Amino acid sequence: MELTLNRSDYLQVGVTSQKTMKLLPASGRRATQKVVVGDQDGVATCFGIKKGEAVPVFKTLPGLKIARLELGGALNTPQEKIFVATGSEIRGFTKRGKQFLSFETNLTESIKAMHISGSDLFLCASYIYNHYCDCKDQHYYLSGDKINDVICLPVEKLPCIIPILACQDRVLRVLQGSDMMYEVEVPGPPTVLALHNGNGGESGEDLLFGTSDGKLGIIQITSSNPVHKWEMRNEKKRGGILCVDYFDIVGDGVKDLLVGRDDGMVEVYSFDAADEPVLRFDQALSESVTSIQGGCVGKDGYDEIVLTTYSGWITGLTTEPVHKESGPGEELKINQEMQNKIASLRNDLEHLQFKVIQEREKYQQSSQSNTAISSVPTFSVNDKFTLNKDDASYSLILEVQTAIDNVMVQSDVPIDLLDVDKNSAVVSFSSSDVEVNENFLLATYRCQANTTRLELKIRSIEGQYGMLQAYVTPRIQPKTCQVRQYQIKPLSLHQRTHFIDHDRPMNTLTLTGQFSFAEVHSWVVFCLPEVPEKTPAGECVTFYFQNTFLDTQLESTYRKGEGIFKSDNISTISILKDVLSKEATKRKINLNIAYEINEISVNHTLKLIHPKLEYQLLLAKKVQLIDALKELQVHEGNTDFLIPEYRCILEEADRLQEEYKKQPAHLERLYGMITDLFIDKFKFKGTNVKTKVPLLLEILDSYDQNTLISFFDAA
Amino acid sequence: MLLPVFTLKLRHKISPRMVAVGRYDGTHTCLAAATQAGKVFIHNPHARRQHLNTPRLLQSPLDADVSLLNINQAVSCLTAGVLNPELGYDCLLVGTQTNLLAYDVYNNSDLFYREVTDGANAIVLGTLGDIASPLAIIGGNCALQGFDFEGNDLFWTVTGDNVHSLALCDFDGDGKKELLVGSEDFDIRVFKEDEIVAEMAETETITSLCPMYGSRFGYALSNGTVGVYDKTARYWRIKSKNHAVSIHAFDLNSDGVCELITGWSNGKVDARSDRTGEVIFKDNFSSAIAGVVEGDYRMDGHVQLICCSVDGEVRGYLPGGAEMKGNLMDTSVEQDLIRELSQKKQNLLLELRNYEENSKQAESSSPMNESDAQRGIIPANTKLQTSLTVNMGSDSQAAHVELQISTSNDTIIRAVLIFAEGIFPGESHVVHPSIQNLSSCIQIPIMPPKDVPVDLHMKTFVGYRNSTQFHVFELTRQLPRFAMYALSSPDSIKEPLSFVNFTVSERVQRVVLWLNQNFLLPDDSEIQSAPFQICFTSLRNNGHLCIKIKPSGEITVNTDDIDLAGDIIQSMASFFGIEDLQVEADFPVYFEELRKVLVKVDEYHSVHQKLSADMADHSNLIRSLLVRAEDARLMRDMKTMKKRYVELYDLNKDLLNGYKIRCNNHTELLGNLKAVNQAIQRAGRLRVGKPKNQVVSACRDAIRSNNLNVLFRIMRVGTASS
Repeated sequence: MELTLNRSDYLQVGVTSQKTMKLLPASGRRATQKVVVGDQDGVATCFGIKKGEAVPVFKTLPGLKIARLELGGALNTPQEKIFVATGSEIRGFTKRGKQFLSFETNLTESIKAMHISGSDLFLCASYIYNHYCDCKDQHYYLSGDKINDVICLPVEKLPCIIPILACQDRVLRVLQGSDMMYEVEVPGPPTVLALHNGNGGESGEDLLFGTSDGKLGIIQITSSNPVHKWEMRNEKKRGGILCVDYFDIVGDGVKDLLVGRDDGMVEVYSFDAADEPVLRFDQALSESVTSIQGGCVGKDGYDEIVLTTYSGWITGLTTEPVHKESGPGEELKINQEMQNKIASLRNDLEHLQFKVIQEREKYQQSSQSNTAISSVPTFSVNDKFTLNKDDASYSLILEVQTAIDNVMVQSDVPIDLLDVDKNSAVVSFSSSDVEVNENFLLATYRCQANTTRLELKIRSIEGQYGMLQAYVTPRIQPKTCQVRQYQIKPLSLHQRTHFIDHDRPMNTLTLTGQFSFAEVHSWVVFCLPEVPEKTPAGECVTFYFQNTFLDTQLESTYRKGEGIFKSDNISTISILKDVLSKEATKRKINLNIAYEINEISVNHTLKLIHPKLEYQLLLAKKVQLIDALKELQVHEGNTDFLIPEYRCILEEADRLQEEYKKQPAHLERLYGMITDLFIDKFKFKGTNVKTKVPLLLEILDSYDQNTLISFFDAA
Repeated sequence: MLLPVFTLKLRHKISPRMVAVGRYDGTHTCLAAATQAGKVFIHNPHARRQHLNTPRLLQSPLDADVSLLNINQAVSCLTAGVLNPELGYDCLLVGTQTNLLAYDVYNNSDLFYREVTDGANAIVLGTLGDIASPLAIIGGNCALQGFDFEGNDLFWTVTGDNVHSLALCDFDGDGKKELLVGSEDFDIRVFKEDEIVAEMAETETITSLCPMYGSRFGYALSNGTVGVYDKTARYWRIKSKNHAVSIHAFDLNSDGVCELITGWSNGKVDARSDRTGEVIFKDNFSSAIAGVVEGDYRMDGHVQLICCSVDGEVRGYLPGGAEMKGNLMDTSVEQDLIRELSQKKQNLLLELRNYEENSKQAESSSPMNESDAQRGIIPANTKLQTSLTVNMGSDSQAAHVELQISTSNDTIIRAVLIFAEGIFPGESHVVHPSIQNLSSCIQIPIMPPKDVPVDLHMKTFVGYRNSTQFHVFELTRQLPRFAMYALSSPDSIKEPLSFVNFTVSERVQRVVLWLNQNFLLPDDSEIQSAPFQICFTSLRNNGHLCIKIKPSGEITVNTDDIDLAGDIIQSMASFFGIEDLQVEADFPVYFEELRKVLVKVDEYHSVHQKLSADMADHSNLIRSLLVRAEDARLMRDMKTMKKRYVELYDLNKDLLNGYKIRCNNHTELLGNLKAVNQAIQRAGRLRVGKPKNQVVSACRDAIRSNNLNVLFRIMRVGTASS
């Protein structure tokens, strides 16, 4: 059965955060549910839909931004009490809007995540987890990295309370009381947690997670160890998961999984007999989907998916057909409703326009005064700067609540801006002026009308570090622009990983000197992405990294007065050495740097590169042949006369071309890294081999693994 | 939702823009398109295997309905239509860089095969002005040529640069068609037969033109712009990061007015309203669009819109019927309208909130502090001043026009974005000083490559050193047309030998007004009364320009740059509203160069002929050598055979070398021919109106009769007779 859902927009509130919209359980005779939503102006709005119009139930006063909104209530009763997390405070409202709770927590930071179960309240600030029961402090835990979400397994089904934290360093931390039971490694930074089927499955231990790189999975959290049930990779390269819900929208008696992503994708998965997810429906909206829930809001008898978007639209994807097949009168009525709505909107607009013109004049007048100031409140920019593992490039996503006029991108390091299909903005590159103003890249993106979300792709080079700045100008009067800064770190292509291969030949860099733990940590933060800014607890810490492009690895272990960095890639060590000595000199710290170079590691790295290089060379060669072969095919009429290898190329032509297009300049990047490796190897020996680089490039042009290795050995 | 009525997957690639629909037998509609390897294919789904296998037309081995026509050269343009009204069916026209072929598909014969030295970049077929018979008009290297069905060249004229697009359209509403020409120098020119009646300056090479209805026409540029003109006024335009491959006018929503259908390089097809540019329909192909055409492909009496992709996918769309009410897209109109209105409302509310917050801030106004600066709070009376001056440059920097932007207080300028067309490599230029170079004043060098007036749309980010939010000041200034000429004193420079001389009946004040509008004159330069002389130095090449005005209204412009002289005359003519202007001109240096070029053209022509003859000789030799070699092989005389083949190999090498020489010779020839065509165009641009057309046609006649002295005479005085 095909699922068709029709979109209808209900209401717009302020900018929303992740997981801030819920449907209140249906009460009394009415089957339609009410929607409650909290926005970043601090307003919680509750409304129902009558005849296609949003009818407000209550609205709270503005305040600090609402980070989360959850429903709660005594266990085994309808969960219809509304809890809102704003700043470091939790407020409770009844479904009629009466405030019954105002609980000022003792957290110094604002609350980022919240979960409610009966009288238990689980709260998380950036790194701190707190458990309250009846507003009394129970347990406390300090996480090693930022906490993105918190949940606890259903207390009805399990003997004890088991909270789980989703942490930025790609682990779920399973707690008991104030202690961590164990860590579960997940394939990406988890952003959202949910109980499978809404109740944790039969055992109550099944937990669904979604990651910021768009992966989904289910893990059974048993009392002793995690059991991975299934994992879904993000094959279509869609956005990160922001919200999930379970609801039977298909109507087959089994709850379906509803997913909202940060690129505006809404997906519905149903589960087959083997409990594996199958995609049933997807629709692309133009901005991040921050909350999603299934229910019945618009019209009695028609289920729908209700969702909120970043700019605060509450939208329903309903099973109610747009054009009813009932008599012509009915349609007329629907039309009438629409017309009324449009008319009232137009009326509002006229009114507003008049007011705006007045205010504009006032604003203009104030520019005559010598004492007046002009200040425009900051608009919120939702941004995400992440490294994609697949093609070792960064993607920068900028989202603003109103349409973007233009984005100016500036960088003081050499980087490449790549074309993104989804991005319709007209890009224009300005000539860079490196000498005077250190601008390696200056580009403007002029957006088409109604663009609220812009995605850029950036390719960096390891060893070249600095700052990328984006100046975002939305289309709103008075015009302002906001600058956002992103660090391009020296080892920008490295990603945190859970474990590394200890058998590889390693080069070691050892730092010793009079530095504190916090100082050495700040250097690591400076050099490598995905390291928490906060100095970790304890005396000594170890992080593992993987180079997303070459798959080489890096182990960093450091404590007060000592830091040890091990990598099988000599270039990584070389970059670290350069950056660290520069940083230390800047801060006037006396640093002893010792390194131990393992000659075998160079050949090992070359062997790691070999299959990639060979594959790329073959691919390039094949793609080059396609056109010629096709011409032969046209000429001869069939392909029987071709050798099987060529026939194979023809058959796979489309796939090959697609793949070739997907990774532009891949070969050049590999060449660049081999060159770096070559230079770095001899740099550690104290010789400068830059003069031999042309020779190396020549060898690469007619690539053969053994020649290359012997060149490295001989030079 | 409008769905395609048919979808075909042809197993041939289609070259972009090379698609045409025709009834080659008078009844059946066939699709012709250029494909790889210098071939043209004809898809005829109606009459199976009716086409004969003749040497010229081959059955495609891949597709039963497809015949292949071998052109043996890269096809550069293709169209189909009625060239000979007596035949009663369409013929196929195929242009390459050297030839034009008019092909009768039905009889499998050539109507004509003409050599065209200027190449054929674009082709259009139809009637032009008062010329009775339909013409196939091709546009090449600065030249336009029209042929009738016998291959007689009935129309010839020159234009400013390489032609990239052509269209026929009733531009002035007189019931006769005018020719629209889009060329590499960013101009759309309108020819009423061989007279230019209008010129519109665009911002990039014009890649496509199509008539819509009446005097309205669509255009596409190589930078992704698509738009609609009505006469000389642009109705709307949009710009995409993709390129418009093909544009076509078609009434897709059955409202009686054609929409502009665009096929894009990313595989999108969209239909836009001719009035507003609003998208009323769109569809997606998996690969780039190669062409958009129309025809009754199903032979049911209804004309379909046919879109082809480069991979050979063909989709046909029937116009939406009345029941669709012009609503061709998936979403409901009302929903969209509500969304749009709500968005507007939200924006207004936000703006209102901005003002509220602002006044709140103002009330609690305390002396500005650090955090205020970070939030981008600036004094309300901050003003931005801009000035344009000529900077004569220094050792490290070439002379340029300097745009200076400064704020009126201690605020700094974080960055400046200038959006302007045609003067920067992209559409915008960014100035972003490094943190130590931040100040409240910024100088931006501008070097416009062409003498065109340009609007500079500036967005200036104003704030403080550590601000994260900036105010954006939006200003627009016009860069005068001749900004790249600096005023210099008449005594210090030597007057150029070349000149143009003409008389206008205008008061001196008006001329001074024109000067002020078109040049960057310093503020203190006083207005003189006639006669006066004013001199400039070009910032590009230090060339001099002197303009002298006598009380009688006689104006002399001295410059060695013939283009500049043309620009000045055209600019004055439009400023003073002059319709016809005869000019006396002399450009000794330029004319001497032109003379050399003409001599060279002759040389290259003779070399070309000689090389062709050589090649013919060689091919005869090859034939005999091959026969003799094969004879030797049959007679098992291996030694002789080897010898013959070695000879053959050598000869082959010679041929290859000869080919290279021919190629070089040809490019040189093309370059020189372009120079000649441009010279005629330039001579024309020195005049306005009728004298202009007279010069162009007289020059052409002089070149035909190879009478160089007459040619130069015409260029000097404007007529052949004395």
